[in-house]
Amino acid sequence: MTMRITEGMTNRVVLRDLGKTKASLTQLQREISSGKRITRPADDPFGTGRTLQLSGELEGFKQYQANVQDGIGWVTATETALSRITDTVQRARELLVQGGNDSNGQVAREGIAAELEALTEAVKQEADVTYDGRYIFSGTATETRPYELGATDAYAGDEGQIMRAIGAGVAVPVNVSIQTLLGNGPAAADNKLLDVLRDIATDLRGGTAANAEALRGTDLERLSANIDELTRVRAVVGATTNRLTTAGTRLEQLQEASLNQLSQVSEVDMAEALVNYSSQQAAYETALRAGSKLIQPSLMDFLR
Amino acid sequence: MAVSTFMGLQTALRGLIAQQEALDITGHNIANANTVGYSRQEVKTSASRALQITTGSTAGNGKAELGTGVDVDGVSRARDRFLDLQYRAQAMRLGGLAARVKGLEAIESALAEPSETGISQELQTFWKDWEGLANSPEDSASRQAVVEAGKALGVSLAELDQQLTYAAEVANGEYASITGAGGEVEAKAKEIALLNGAIRSSVTEGAQPNDLLDRRDLLLDELSSLAQVSVTELADGTVEVGFGDAAEPLVTGTEVNWPQALKEPKGKLGALLELTAPGGTIESFRAELDAFAENLANAVNAIHVKGGGPAFFTYVAGNGAASLQVAVNAKEVQTASNGSVGGNDIAREIGGLRGGAVDRAYASFVTRVGTEMNEARNGETNSQALLDTVAERRESTFGVSLDEEMTSLQRFQRGYEASARAMTALDEALDVLINRTGRVGL
Repeated sequence: MTMRITEGMTNRVVLRDLGKTKASLTQLQREISSGKRITRPADDPFGTGRTLQLSGELEGFKQYQANVQDGIGWVTATETALSRITDTVQRARELLVQGGNDSNGQVAREGIAAELEALTEAVKQEADVTYDGRYIFSGTATETRPYELGATDAYAGDEGQIMRAIGAGVAVPVNVSIQTLLGNGPAAADNKLLDVLRDIATDLRGGTAANAEALRGTDLERLSANIDELTRVRAVVGATTNRLTTAGTRLEQLQEASLNQLSQVSEVDMAEALVNYSSQQAAYETALRAGSKLIQPSLMDFLR
Repeated sequence: MAVSTFMGLQTALRGLIAQQEALDITGHNIANANTVGYSRQEVKTSASRALQITTGSTAGNGKAELGTGVDVDGVSRARDRFLDLQYRAQAMRLGGLAARVKGLEAIESALAEPSETGISQELQTFWKDWEGLANSPEDSASRQAVVEAGKALGVSLAELDQQLTYAAEVANGEYASITGAGGEVEAKAKEIALLNGAIRSSVTEGAQPNDLLDRRDLLLDELSSLAQVSVTELADGTVEVGFGDAAEPLVTGTEVNWPQALKEPKGKLGALLELTAPGGTIESFRAELDAFAENLANAVNAIHVKGGGPAFFTYVAGNGAASLQVAVNAKEVQTASNGSVGGNDIAREIGGLRGGAVDRAYASFVTRVGTEMNEARNGETNSQALLDTVAERRESTFGVSLDEEMTSLQRFQRGYEASARAMTALDEALDVLINRTGRVGL
């Protein structure tokens, strides 16, 4: 027996097909208006998981980028302060050479000593520089002034390292231990910058032959050694700046790549979606037209 | 044996009656063309018992059978029991999957992923705030931000947990209203029992109560979307209806045995039970969410206490999502293990948890919800397509085709007219016999 086709069946088939086309039209419309391929987890469960991870990754890259910028700011402030200290110390060296020359009388030496003491204060002042309201040379004791101006030369900060995360599991130290450069003054007799500068002033004021000898000999040597050390530390800071800048560029590339991936996973290809939409719409209209023709006639139209 | 003069009239009358009944049934079919569950009916006729007559011929031993017209044997309905079984099996599957989709949809929309407002976004904000704190550990606003982000995360987790509980409650409520006193199951069972009684009396009288049978079949179709229904037809025309995995039949004769306990009834009720049962879908979602919340708290706490400080999060074990709380205020937030103001190792390490096991656990939770939803939705679509196919086959068997009925109408109308014409012809013959015979030469 061939299949009987009743009016009810025809109606139902027409309605069902219309419903299907309409449902895919609605889905496409949702995709187009939101621009997102995935609007709920069931649209693509694994794509959803991937979207969440990629957007987390992307947020991470943005944060690392911010960390890098902050680190660069910090390192630049450090570099500026160190370069000023270097300039000051160079001037101190000139004064030392000048003071070591015996053609100068004691009066002239006293004057040089006074200037040298002012330079010492200037060095300490540079060490007290702040970035964003924080002392950058105090280790992790960022709210403590590393050196008090005046006679006390003791370092008040700590040896803590301040790091900036620039990648997953990668952190760069951005602070410099100023204590290894400036030391704790003559009280500690550590041959560091403050100790040497104070000793030079003392030697200038002392006026004895031994003092003059020291000015020309050990003092000059000790100061030169400190200048070398300063240069070395500045090279390290420069390397850190380079490293941060490179990391920033790399992060930008990574960010772009992950943004690309994210948009591939989660965003609608508009051209494709629009083409699909118009072809579905055409299908819908055809189904409507066919339906209206299919349902209309019956034997009743022809029997009398 | 002689034949009555008027026998032909009787034969024509039988024809008239049979055609008229067929016309009536055609009208009944047309009237019910759009009635749900109606099966088309057909008048069954057969030639009525013939008269044996003696002929003058030697052929056939001088005997012949004279037809006496038509008898109406009854009215049958077109129905295929095998298709009914297939239909009910699919209706049960579809009922289950549709209920599951509905339940999961509530959960999926509560998740609100992927979006700018979901938990994954809050998790990202939380990590971001820790990293921000690592950049300026001296800043009290940054500390406050970390505390607030932690609190927001706790609130969102508790809300999602609440939504899951609510979805379970809704499913439970629906189950209770369907199976409870006066619910769908009981109402349908009672009507089936009543129909059983009416059908039994008709069958005892030897009639076939087509319309009552249709109604009962429709009720059985509807019941089968709720749970697995097994139907045993008995000789007296009644059916015994087994429902789900209930211990006793739901309907026996005119007796209804409800409520009964169900464990795995399949169909819609089965899906509702599975969603809410201990170890069921919703509970396993909640367990996964709890595990995520607890892992998050443990991972953060393990780092936060490194400098000897307090734990950042507290929670009630086994109920992590609903009870996750930030245990510290802005001042107590730890940034450095050495306790210094400018140190940031703790903050950095917590911020570095981004993209780690915690994030992955949440992403896999969302993926799981999506997968379950996807499977249920695909299953529903497939099952709907299968049900449509079976429904079409059934409709093809017992649906009313108006073209067919119009043809029948024409056919029976012509039959009626012809029977009437036969009667007129006989009448005219009798007129000759009665009024004109023997009047020779008058």
